[in-house]
Amino acid sequence: MIPGLRVDVRLPLHRFDLAAAFTMRAGRLGLFGPSGSGKTTILEVIAGLRRRVSGRVEFGGEVWLDAQRGIDRPARERGVGYVPQDGLLFPHWDVRGNIRAGKVRASRGAKVDPDRVVEVLDLSRLLGRRVETLSGGERQRVSLARALCSGPSLLLLDEPLGSVEKPLRGRILHYLLRVLEEFRIPALYVSHDATEVTILCKEVAVLREGRIVAGGRPADLFLGAPPLGDLEGPEHVNVLEGTITEAAAGRAVAAISGGSSLVLADAPEAALGARVLVGLRADDILLAVADTPGLSARNVIPGTIRRMHDLPGGWLVLVEVAADQPPVAVRVTEAARVAPGLKEGMHLRLIAKARSCRLLAVR
Amino acid sequence: MLSGHALDALRISLQISLCSTAIVVPPGVLIGLLLARLDFPGKGLVETIVSLPLVLPPTAVGYVLLSLFAVRGPLGSGTLGFDLDLLFTWKGAVVAASVMSLPLVSRTARVAFEGIDRRLEGLARTLGYGPVRTFVSVTVPLARRGLLAAMVLGFSRALGEFGATVIVAGNIPGRTQTLALAIFSDIQAGRGEDARALLVLTTLLAFAGIYATERLVRGSARSRAPERTP
Repeated sequence: MIPGLRVDVRLPLHRFDLAAAFTMRAGRLGLFGPSGSGKTTILEVIAGLRRRVSGRVEFGGEVWLDAQRGIDRPARERGVGYVPQDGLLFPHWDVRGNIRAGKVRASRGAKVDPDRVVEVLDLSRLLGRRVETLSGGERQRVSLARALCSGPSLLLLDEPLGSVEKPLRGRILHYLLRVLEEFRIPALYVSHDATEVTILCKEVAVLREGRIVAGGRPADLFLGAPPLGDLEGPEHVNVLEGTITEAAAGRAVAAISGGSSLVLADAPEAALGARVLVGLRADDILLAVADTPGLSARNVIPGTIRRMHDLPGGWLVLVEVAADQPPVAVRVTEAARVAPGLKEGMHLRLIAKARSCRLLAVR
Repeated sequence: MLSGHALDALRISLQISLCSTAIVVPPGVLIGLLLARLDFPGKGLVETIVSLPLVLPPTAVGYVLLSLFAVRGPLGSGTLGFDLDLLFTWKGAVVAASVMSLPLVSRTARVAFEGIDRRLEGLARTLGYGPVRTFVSVTVPLARRGLLAAMVLGFSRALGEFGATVIVAGNIPGRTQTLALAIFSDIQAGRGEDARALLVLTTLLAFAGIYATERLVRGSARSRAPERTP
């Protein structure tokens, strides 16, 4: 059974009072919200790094904080693996020293093999490096390795992709997926990026100004009514899971459930048979209600309109392409909805260029 | 080339400065740590008292110490029942030098501790480090350049000490006469040749000291490989 995390805490902050209550049951919870909404503070409260917190924190049946009963277990006894946004590596040790720093606790009942961590995170070539020579992505991997080597019962990940250059995010995402799937440690994942949360988390809690304002499964939440459009910005990215059936010269084809396949124009990392996550922006998809011969776009996927949400400046059309995939969100303008007479239950085709299908991560 | 009394002065100076540094660094670093990390009522008062010797004329500090250790003073043989044997001895000079250098050591140490990213200490705690281990393996190594500077400043202040020393320990050649005091005596007595020799000696000493510590501080910051095992 996955140990659950129950948090119900209050802490006065500079701009607002933090008063957040949420529960993590499925072992991978995304804490989603704009910057400055108190996400990092919540992680610090759970890690035991904040004073004067009122409320309760409970993990796997152990009480870590109960202000009323005067219980506040020190940070060193909580057994969390904290990965701060900037990695926060020890500047006076090299990479190996930083990873070994995690072994202080792990020596009492280690569950994680440090050699395996180094292997999974691909760090063997970096071990002798000084930390100030590392790139943002390398720092994050070392910080994650240090946390894992301490044998944590809960991982606290604070925007692991925040300080990573955009083109490299897919790589770190790939490492994160490997780590979460291989070591099976419950994780709280802080992010302001809906795509990341959709990929990595089973549940989401939405934080705004120190309060949890919504919660649920990522697909339901991000595509629900009203969608959290103001939080995620205009760039909603659909995440589809598939298996690579063709890969040659940087181009790849991914079969997705429901019998369709997607052509990816630029996916050099995709290997034959790999399970991949493909991203497709809601703005990049066209809808066709009839056959359209002579298309240059390579991807045509049949689907059914499930729901339509009124958005400021247009509509979000949710199209089901397969029973086990979350619906694909498509943004259309008011005119684009009226002209073809789009309505719920209608069968149609999604059309996307191969260049619009991005490889997000390889599992 | 160096006369016997110059070598004596050199030996006495080094002896006093080294002893004073050894005595003053632990409490100085501790005071720096407390001032950097703790907020307590009367903190401003403690800060002021600790910094007082920095502002007062050294002779005034010397006079306070002299009154303290005089036979009928609060720490004199008449009050304690035994003699601390500090007045007009090299040990008295060590006390004078220590009092004079304490503010520099504690202030520099305080700045060193304040410059540390405290989140690193918090992170160490999440990894299972206790308070002592966090201090020894994280806090001190991160503050090491500032702490080294505090030590060097304390030593330099002790080496150059004049005012308080001359009042507490006198200026006895071969016993309490340091380089600074010997230069003064030679000039007063019109022994220009001897004074110049001492000047060269102190300059060489100062040069070597500063050069070595600069190398040490830079070395620990840049060229030396970081320690491997936490």
